[in-house]
Amino acid sequence: MADESFENGTEAQDQGGRKYDPSAFLAEINGKSVTVKLNNGIVYKGNLQNVDGYMNIALEHTREVINGKPGKNYGDTFIRGNNVQYISAD
Amino acid sequence: MDSADDTPTASGEPLDLVRLCIDEVVYVKLRGDRELSGRLHAYDSHCNLILGDVEETIYIVDEKDSDDEDSDDEDDSAGMRFVKKKSEMLFVRGDSVVLVSPDQPKD
Amino acid sequence: MSFFGFDTTLPRDRGHQTAAPGFGQTQDAFAGLSSRPDAFGESDTLDFEETYDGLGDQLDETDDAFNDDTFGEAPATQQSIGKDFDFAGRTAQMSNVLQEEGLLHAVRQPPRRASPPKPVAKPRRTGYESYAESSYIPKLEADASIWGTAPKKPAQEAQPSNQSASAPARKMMSVEEVEAMMRAQASQPQPQTQPVRPPPQQLPPTMQYDFPPSQPTPQQPGFAGPPQILQRPQQQIPDQRQGTTQRHPVQAELPGQGVHQPQILQRQRPEHSQPRHGGTPSQHGIQFQQQQQQAQHRQQQQQQQQPPQQGAPLQPRQILQNPNRLSGHGQPLAPQYRNQDMPRVPPTGPSHHRGPSYQGPVITNPQQILNLSEEDRAAYLAEEAKRAKRNHKIYLLSQGNHLMTPQDKNFITRIQLQQLVTATGGADEAGGESLLAEDFYYQVYAQIRGASRQHPNQPANQFAQTYLFQTGGRFGMSGRRQQRGGDNHMQRMEQQVQRAVEAAKLKPKNKQLVIEGSLGKISFSNSKTPKPLLNIKRSEDSRPPSAGPRVSRAKNGSTIPDRKVALRDLEKIYDTLMVLEDHERRMPRLREDSDAAVVQSHMEWTQQMESLNQRLWTELKVMEPIIPNSTTAHPFIALLSHPKGKKAIPRVFRHLSEQQRVTILTMLVIQLDGLDVISAALPPASAGPHADAIVPSASVRDEVELFAMSVIPPLFTYVSDAPLHIVVGLLGLALDRTNISNLIRTKIGLGILTMFVSRAELIRQAQGAAGSSDWDVWTSHYDRLFDEAESELPFIFPGGSNAASLKEVDDVHVWQFLAAMGVGASPDQQQRLVLGVKERVMETVAVSKALPADLAAKRLGNVNLFMRAIGLDVELLG
Repeated sequence: MADESFENGTEAQDQGGRKYDPSAFLAEINGKSVTVKLNNGIVYKGNLQNVDGYMNIALEHTREVINGKPGKNYGDTFIRGNNVQYISAD
Repeated sequence: MDSADDTPTASGEPLDLVRLCIDEVVYVKLRGDRELSGRLHAYDSHCNLILGDVEETIYIVDEKDSDDEDSDDEDDSAGMRFVKKKSEMLFVRGDSVVLVSPDQPKD
Repeated sequence: MSFFGFDTTLPRDRGHQTAAPGFGQTQDAFAGLSSRPDAFGESDTLDFEETYDGLGDQLDETDDAFNDDTFGEAPATQQSIGKDFDFAGRTAQMSNVLQEEGLLHAVRQPPRRASPPKPVAKPRRTGYESYAESSYIPKLEADASIWGTAPKKPAQEAQPSNQSASAPARKMMSVEEVEAMMRAQASQPQPQTQPVRPPPQQLPPTMQYDFPPSQPTPQQPGFAGPPQILQRPQQQIPDQRQGTTQRHPVQAELPGQGVHQPQILQRQRPEHSQPRHGGTPSQHGIQFQQQQQQAQHRQQQQQQQQPPQQGAPLQPRQILQNPNRLSGHGQPLAPQYRNQDMPRVPPTGPSHHRGPSYQGPVITNPQQILNLSEEDRAAYLAEEAKRAKRNHKIYLLSQGNHLMTPQDKNFITRIQLQQLVTATGGADEAGGESLLAEDFYYQVYAQIRGASRQHPNQPANQFAQTYLFQTGGRFGMSGRRQQRGGDNHMQRMEQQVQRAVEAAKLKPKNKQLVIEGSLGKISFSNSKTPKPLLNIKRSEDSRPPSAGPRVSRAKNGSTIPDRKVALRDLEKIYDTLMVLEDHERRMPRLREDSDAAVVQSHMEWTQQMESLNQRLWTELKVMEPIIPNSTTAHPFIALLSHPKGKKAIPRVFRHLSEQQRVTILTMLVIQLDGLDVISAALPPASAGPHADAIVPSASVRDEVELFAMSVIPPLFTYVSDAPLHIVVGLLGLALDRTNISNLIRTKIGLGILTMFVSRAELIRQAQGAAGSSDWDVWTSHYDRLFDEAESELPFIFPGGSNAASLKEVDDVHVWQFLAAMGVGASPDQQQRLVLGVKERVMETVAVSKALPADLAAKRLGNVNLFMRAIGLDVELLG
């Protein structure tokens, strides 16, 4: 319900015993190479510059992958959050 | 440049990238297989955009071509047609925006 | 003894419906009455609610508007209700008028005898028939335990008089009630009143004060009774307080009483029932006495005699109706008076009494008056008059009251709570939360509850749901009928809200409802501002890893990072510019006679200006070291490669000092090669002299145009005032540090060179070349430039040399340069210049002949810039 949306879901404990939640994950992968999959199936790979609360994503050195085939290359990209299906660290 | 104190992305957010593109030519990917290229005059937090001197590219997939054939480039060129339109000024509603890039993509 | 009490022996489950079909009707009628004449708006409503047996619950909510009809029809057992009902309603309406009139009378006339209550229009079956039976003793439906209160004592005294007074249209019920009560009294010699709670007790003390101790009114219990609550207490109360009344309102309002109000209201029924329970009253009485003693100084006499009675009656009044206080004050009945009355009147249901009570003050019992002493009578009359005034005031204030019926209010309450439930997503719909943000009630609710959301065990909407289910809201229709007849939505909601508020107070504040968004704080979302799905924690230590690679890439020669860096720098510059310009507008006006404060503020302003200037200067990165052989452009040059960088220059220059400007100019000249408007505008190296189609691309042309429009003018403005040595120095730098041929082949480069040369010539013409060393240097620089330019003359004109391009090409800058060079050239140099461009001159003249007159004149004018500089004219070529 409303309560959880502000807490980024259930928090788990990582090995270190500290709180581990999506926010922590996103903070951790900042600046690292990630794969972002959109709802339309297109995948973007690049270095994660940052993410905001809307899941808007900024990537640098972005490579586009469409249906498993390489698409265009971008320098920087801004991806609107509503299209994001997932972000995974490479 | 190389100056150490220059931490460009520090405490930034994704929309900063768009802000940097103000008055620059940007590439915008929209839903529905459309692309725009134009000078970004304004934007907001919804990604509503105002673009000037826009070239819009609409990709059309020809139904007759089989999508799953392995002929990569062939498929792209044969199966995809595109139409280009030019507009002096465009307002782009944010919810159709998928991606904004300051750079023209390279194939 | 209440009219409320329904005989449980009756066949129907719901005593109310069957037994008192008219009950619902009467409610409406009362509501109507209360709305107009009386000031006791809300409290009256509450009274009704209490007495409300839940008939409303049976109604289909959607039909609330037709409550009257529904009520009339609902009980199948009743016959021919309709007419009666209508009648009751009319009388009720009439009663308003009657009451008003009564008020007027009361003000103007001495108390007169009350006419015996006559049922003006009596429904055939009102449901109150049972009261007419002498043996009838109403039973209470509700358990006293429900309300957690002991049954109250029946209020006896005051009612009789009230009833009689109000009698006419008022309520037939009331009359009958009175009778019933009287009978009841007779059967039960003593008032059954039991002090329910301490709050009532508090009141009694005040009452006692009023009364002279000498007058122990055994009958007090009677007036204390419930009737006061319903009625405008005035009559009854006055009796008690006759002497002292007005001061005591405060006491009456004592907190304790107020708190208990709701309970009191609910208990009414129990009170009625009390008569049956013989044992309880006494116990209560004891407690009551104790409380009274503690609470305030009462007269022991009175307390001992009739503690319980006093307490009970008082509370209801005050609680229910604010006006009560007033009434209490105003009411000047002498104790004697009361005594007499009291025996007569058995306690009646509060709701019924309203009407009568209201009139009561006006029409006093003749006996009472008679019994009064002259003084008392006079006092009484005076009080009556005051009270009437007050009532009238209240009436005026209360005209808006009761526009809504209790049913309406309940309905709305239910809607609101329903919104709460749906807004908070209900137990079953998870997506409901999206509705939250725009729901006013939810917002209020959220405010109240604060951090409660963090406790999953306690659903946000718990209280609303509880309420709705208990009261048979929309979600629980079927449950409604099972409820106790007397449920009162308003009361219940009140209680629930109170509980919710208290619960909220105990909970910690919610910490994370607001987070930082792209445009500032983002709190709750609504349709216009989407709610962030994540709360991103940004830690500074996450930065370095991302920054590191970027720098290394930059050194690898990728232009992307540089570009982004430049764009960021530009953002900073624009930010600073805006701050600077804003600050500039706030300059304090400084005059000769300005006082110290102004001077001080001006100094501060100047300081701030300087710091901003420094900030801007730093951000321009003009002073960044130039890295030889670097693949990346100097940051300042990189700025100029962006349109907004070019556009910023005019604004930046305004704020810079001369020194800063010359520094910029110097930096620019040194790195002219790196400027996009030069490097990108260069014709392809492969292009030979007079090559066709060397016109730069459209985007480059735009950049060049923008540069010429925005960057060159401020530079030119500076140079046009610059002393010779500056010009000499700049030209020298250009010759030493840049590829002059590149400058000569591009519009911008040529323009800058023209700027220097023409400035030097102007200085020379103004001052003469009086043998300063600068001129020697200048001459050597000029010669070097001339040599470079001469070799480039074949490439100096853009757009090739064919006729077609000649018609359109923009070559004015070239002619300007040639003119500037020609002015300062030695005769030999002039000759070489003419030779170099003769062909172009002739072509242009030829082409211009085929052009429209205006265009031709323009083209020839351009050529003449040069021709006249060397003492020639195109006309001579004619």
